[in-house]
Amino acid sequence: MREMLSLFTFDLRENFDSIPWTVYFWIFFAFQYFVYGQLVSRLVNPSAVSDYYFYYGTGILIIMTFNVSTWAGRRFVEGAHEGRLKYLLSLPFTRGELFLEQVLLGLAVNLIRIGPPLVLILWLARMPPIMLATSILVLLAMSFGIMGIMISLSFIAFKSFDIFSAIVASTSAILIRFSTILYPLAFLPSAYGTVARFNPLTYGSDLLRDALNFNIPSLLDPGFSAFIVAAVGISTMTLGMALVPRALEGVKSS
Amino acid sequence: METFDLTKAYGSTNALDSLNTKIKRGEILVLLGPNGSGKTTLLHLLATVLRPTRGTATVMGYDIVKQPLKVRETIGISFQEARGFWRHKPYHILSFHAGIYGLKGEAKEKIVDQTLKDFDLWPSRNKRFMELSGGQAKRLEVAKLFVYRPAVAVFDEPTAMVDLEGKRMIWDRIKDLRKAGSTVIVATNEVREAEYLADRISIMKAGKEVVTENLRTLKDSISGGDVVEVEFSSPTSPQLLKALETVPGTVRVSQETEKALKVFVNRSEDWLPQMMNAVQPLQTKVTSIRVAEPSLDDVFLHYTGDELVKQINA
Repeated sequence: MREMLSLFTFDLRENFDSIPWTVYFWIFFAFQYFVYGQLVSRLVNPSAVSDYYFYYGTGILIIMTFNVSTWAGRRFVEGAHEGRLKYLLSLPFTRGELFLEQVLLGLAVNLIRIGPPLVLILWLARMPPIMLATSILVLLAMSFGIMGIMISLSFIAFKSFDIFSAIVASTSAILIRFSTILYPLAFLPSAYGTVARFNPLTYGSDLLRDALNFNIPSLLDPGFSAFIVAAVGISTMTLGMALVPRALEGVKSS
Repeated sequence: METFDLTKAYGSTNALDSLNTKIKRGEILVLLGPNGSGKTTLLHLLATVLRPTRGTATVMGYDIVKQPLKVRETIGISFQEARGFWRHKPYHILSFHAGIYGLKGEAKEKIVDQTLKDFDLWPSRNKRFMELSGGQAKRLEVAKLFVYRPAVAVFDEPTAMVDLEGKRMIWDRIKDLRKAGSTVIVATNEVREAEYLADRISIMKAGKEVVTENLRTLKDSISGGDVVEVEFSSPTSPQLLKALETVPGTVRVSQETEKALKVFVNRSEDWLPQMMNAVQPLQTKVTSIRVAEPSLDDVFLHYTGDELVKQINA
């Protein structure tokens, strides 16, 4: 465990060194929220969604969480290609501890990158501080599930970073578009809505809005949403832990 | 250390093929072979970076399949390619590595500082890894095993990309490691490195161990253990070659240049006078004679039927 925490600190230090990337994330958020968000919310009928601007803002945060979480899977594949993983595999900790460290790192990086924009949104929307805690919990739970999906996907395409990037890009496009990240389920066309109900991001998005007391009565049941988010996180992580070490140690290829 | 039928397969290709070998405690064993001979695969299996397809090995008594964590605590590996931590600085990389193996506080700082100085990395200690030259990055990769002394130290081509002065420094440090009690395994395709470092040399080819012996025994084991380089005043003729081949003690004649031959003989002191007698009637003047031991490349050729240099270039 001590070794794992040393690695966590070591990796986090490397991430703190990439300040331009973090600043880029915040600029991306500011542009999306303050410029594009203002424009697009004018197109939405206020009688349908009373505060679409806020809805959109939380949607952008979920997209950012998704992007940061995909980084965890990419880091595995990149590490395998760059030689970093070989080194980590030779160090005295178990594969499980190594896996856990990578996940904790993903959550920490998420917190660093998503935290300040979240605080800003909640402050602008005059939300009480308790909302900050609950929404962070929901976003991290979502991040856990997305990382699980991405790390499991890395098993499919361990040998080629290009293939992995293509898989991530297409998965992202499908998961983000066919969800309630930017459009409430109640206002989606029925066919679109049916697909969205099979998308774990739909449950994560609705759970976040529930946690923020967003006033849409047609959000999915929060208990069920919480169950889906937890189930996706645990099952994909378990799958990833079972598959990825095999790929790393060359078992898959033999 | 001992391997038992150790095999690593990638699809239908065996990168390492049923290896059964022993490595003695406290020795420097050099694995010599061309690219693709299975050296790196063997090192990765011993360091538990890879899992064997079949068979197993023990490192200081620990089984690499059943007790991988114990093995990782015992063995340290310096990889062939120094890559991966682009934004970290040499000081932090060595400090992290020392910390993982239990060094703390002042003792850790002291050994990290000393290692950076020993490996001529002190002036670059605060540069990012991506700003280091290839040679500096390689020295840093090797230096990782010197911030703590692993019971078993494994080096994969430790001096690739390193300048001559740096090579000698690394070789001497590796010998110091052995003196301090570590068992050392070095994989290389550089003959000079093998000759300088090895207590024993294991020649590998196509995933198999061909022979493992000390250098002296390997050289002595070749029939034609002496090499005589003979230069003539004029280009050699077929008659001359035939005459030399029939001299008692000649094992093989190799044309080096149009006027020079390399002859592998059993005992040069017996062979030389007979060679002079054989050459005299052909009106050919000998201008120079040099007697040498067979090189490790000759040993490799003898055991594998291939020239090491040719294999590496291929």
